[in-house]
Amino acid sequence: MFSVGLIYLIIIIICYTILWPIDRTKVLQSLRLSWQSLFKLLPFLIAIFGLVGLFQEFIPPELIALFLGKSSGLISLVISSFAGAVSIGPPLAAYPLAETLLKAGAWPPAIAAFIFSWISVGVITMPFEAATFGPRFALLRNGITLIAAMLSGLILGLLL
Amino acid sequence: MMSLLRTQWLFFSTILIYALVFLTNPERAGRALFTAATTFSSVLLLIIAVFSLVGLLQIWISRDVIVRLLGREGGIKSLVIAALCGTLLIGPAYIIFPLLMEIQKRGARWAVITIVLTSYAVKLQMIPLEVEFLGWPFALGRALVTIALAVPIGLLVEAVMEKQQKL
Repeated sequence: MFSVGLIYLIIIIICYTILWPIDRTKVLQSLRLSWQSLFKLLPFLIAIFGLVGLFQEFIPPELIALFLGKSSGLISLVISSFAGAVSIGPPLAAYPLAETLLKAGAWPPAIAAFIFSWISVGVITMPFEAATFGPRFALLRNGITLIAAMLSGLILGLLL
Repeated sequence: MMSLLRTQWLFFSTILIYALVFLTNPERAGRALFTAATTFSSVLLLIIAVFSLVGLLQIWISRDVIVRLLGREGGIKSLVIAALCGTLLIGPAYIIFPLLMEIQKRGARWAVITIVLTSYAVKLQMIPLEVEFLGWPFALGRALVTIALAVPIGLLVEAVMEKQQKL
């Protein structure tokens, strides 16, 4: 895992080096923005990984398998879609959570639906969406996307 | 102080939970903290790399360019561009609501707005991270399915929106 990160980092450093002679101020701006976005998200990331640790220590896999396991089928799909819809956070935070759930025996389609609705459906941000685009669009889009989240999980299940 | 609590409530509640667990069961709390730390450190380099890319994209591909491409009456092309923008833009989805509304006012279709918000569930820059956590088949399959679904969802939302506008 470490080496993949290193390779990825080296590629990005090469990009920065190529761009440096083209526009120095823009490169510095990019670096500052990168640092700012990372810094802003850092407490959140620490919290998520902290929760992942607690989760693995205290939540028995049987419980996850019961609610999100393959045997629960469509119920696990619905539960995880709604869980994703009411949670809010960056995609980055969804991956370690998803990994933990999968390792504990969750059904992959349910987890795919969880990631989809985690990002694209926002119950908490719906008031803001309604204020910006009008309530009709907000309700319509979130509703249809929630159904699509479950659908995407099922399709992924067929593909895997 | 209040605003700090409001924006970082998750951080503070996690610390609070850890404090409580340490008081009741220090051994298991230590193990939980160890798991957390090892997971975090294993992806730390990747996280730094991803954020370096985020800054690069934000500065070198300006928002004006995105507005221009999506605002154009470009048929299928604008839908494809919408999907691409959705997968590339970073940050919580609600941050781009105002930007999308601006595009919509300039004549972009409802389908474009919806496709951006749907394909937001895939992050091209984050794919290496997703692969690390969830594996190739899952990450790649999820990206393909999400993008394939984004267009029909967009067209469906648009169809209903326009029907209601006529009524």
